Amino acid sequence: MKVRESHIDISVVIPLYNEEENVQPLYDILDEVLSGLGKEYEIIFIDDGSSDETYPRLKAIAQRDAHVKVIKFRNNCGQSAATDAGFELAAGDVIIVMDGDLQNDPRDIPKLLEKLEEGYDLVSGWRKNRKDKLLLRKVPSRIANRIICSVTKVNLHDTGCALKAYRKDVVKRINLYGELHRFLPALARIEGARITEIPVNHHPRKYGRSKYGITRTFKVIMDLLSLNLFIKYLKKPLHFFGKIALAFLFMAFLAIVGVFQGMLRGVYGPEEMNVLISIALVFTAGGLQFIFLGLIANLIFITGRKRKLYLANIKE
Amino acid sequence: MTSNHASVVNRERVEERSSQSATTLISAILLLYNDGDRARTILEALVRGLERYGEEWEIICVDDGSQDHTSRVVEEFLSRHRNVRLIRMRTTFGEAAGLDAGLRHSSGEKVIYMTSRVNVNPEQVVGLLKKLDEGFDLVVGWRNPRRDSRLNRIVSWVFNRMINRLSGLKLNDINSGVFAARKEVLTAIPIYGDLNNFIPVMAKKQGFRITEEKIEQLPGKFRTSRYPNEYIQRFLDIITVLFLTRYSKKPIHFLGFLGAILTIIGAAINIYLFFYRILLIGPIAGRPLLLLGALLLVIGIQMVSIGLIGEMIIFTHAKEIKEYNIEEIIAR
Repeated sequence: MKVRESHIDISVVIPLYNEEENVQPLYDILDEVLSGLGKEYEIIFIDDGSSDETYPRLKAIAQRDAHVKVIKFRNNCGQSAATDAGFELAAGDVIIVMDGDLQNDPRDIPKLLEKLEEGYDLVSGWRKNRKDKLLLRKVPSRIANRIICSVTKVNLHDTGCALKAYRKDVVKRINLYGELHRFLPALARIEGARITEIPVNHHPRKYGRSKYGITRTFKVIMDLLSLNLFIKYLKKPLHFFGKIALAFLFMAFLAIVGVFQGMLRGVYGPEEMNVLISIALVFTAGGLQFIFLGLIANLIFITGRKRKLYLANIKE
Repeated sequence: MTSNHASVVNRERVEERSSQSATTLISAILLLYNDGDRARTILEALVRGLERYGEEWEIICVDDGSQDHTSRVVEEFLSRHRNVRLIRMRTTFGEAAGLDAGLRHSSGEKVIYMTSRVNVNPEQVVGLLKKLDEGFDLVVGWRNPRRDSRLNRIVSWVFNRMINRLSGLKLNDINSGVFAARKEVLTAIPIYGDLNNFIPVMAKKQGFRITEEKIEQLPGKFRTSRYPNEYIQRFLDIITVLFLTRYSKKPIHFLGFLGAILTIIGAAINIYLFFYRILLIGPIAGRPLLLLGALLLVIGIQMVSIGLIGEMIIFTHAKEIKEYNIEEIIAR
């Protein structure tokens, strides 16, 4: 095994957007918890284009403490992009992600690490006693969690909890972009990660404003649709589009059978025949196009296949 | 890519590089096409402007496959100036390719780009550079006073309004063909195809600071359009902007939305017709509505599928295309 001079055990990745009041208290707790672990660590703050004092405060902390690294975005790029930038820079064997709003408790980090040691690749936090408004946050979140879990086949109580610990090799493979941070466990699952959860603390928001809303339902549904495709069919997209094509062609086939029956036995009048012919034509054309779409999708998969197709623990 | 198709006429490049590494360097990229003797006038004015600014400079002329003696005029000019270079494209590749080739052969921190087509006063590029020094990352030239044809002006006005509306920019002349930028802006955004028209839009999306500065347009003969179909092209470009600014990495959010609407309308029509027929209210075969319903259903589902294919492309290449722009990393 290669021995590096400054080996890092734990990286904590925290995306921040306009959290000026939370910066210092968050750092204080993190510093206390992490320095008590007796391991090499780094804290990576990502300033996602904040317009307040977040960045100057982070900069001041980074100048005092060499464990702290700061990435500054030119503009607000979203939580996925910020987390991804953190993942890119993180060098630790274990990478922990958490929100910068102090609702997650850094004191849970040792528990997460312990669980990870049991042989998991991802340990997710579960906000068992959630301190948010029931109707506005908890209920929609619970429903969303149900749907996300059943579509992505990940068995967690609380996929929305930002506090999670990952093994480095999982993180380095994850494709995080767009608004997919909501589905990080699903993305990890696509890479073959073993996933579990533990209950964590959750505090009410002290400073700043919540930046989530429940208005993005449609986008979430669409993201789920694509994730479903990735999970089941990324390596064989023709199967997915082929199924749609078969459904269409089957309809067309039924219509064609009807047309022939009408021609041979004369059971249908000209009106029924016209309807059947229209259906047959439209559905044949549609069905054929889906086959071609599937072939193109296969092509995309083949040309994009630069990465390894598997994730494995190789002991040296 | 592009540079394979271009021959570079370059004198004393090595000495040039080593002597200029200390101070900041201004690279002026000048795109020429069938300019003939006018090329000399432009170059002389540009040199005057750059000299007035007082920093180190280099000029990279890109001859975009002229059929006349433009290249000879430039070669004659660069025999007298050490820091002028000529890139001659084998044939006409368009402005994006020209800019890309120019960038690849430039070494300045600050870049000025201008195409001879827009016929602005090259001496005034100094004004753009001053704004750059005030802390802006991109300064777009605003052709004012403008001496173009009326048609050009109207097309330009409509185009600018639409792009400003979509992208949140506040510029009078987005696609003026003249701008000054820090090198990092141009390396952070993709330049190919028609995308040179949208440099401010993409720069804005990346969070760069953008402003504009007036630059006088000279009277003279104007070609109405250099590349064919330019006017129609511009309105198609609006769709490009929409994609660039909102849906570049989430095709399913756009196509899925459209597709879902079409599918729902199609399904509603079909259900209506189904009951219409079953309840024997009347015949449906003669009605165009049947065809419409069936077609909408198919097209709607296909649109969602194409969105999904877009997602697949993005997913498989997500590691290569980053959607954020880091200004600074502090790490010890």
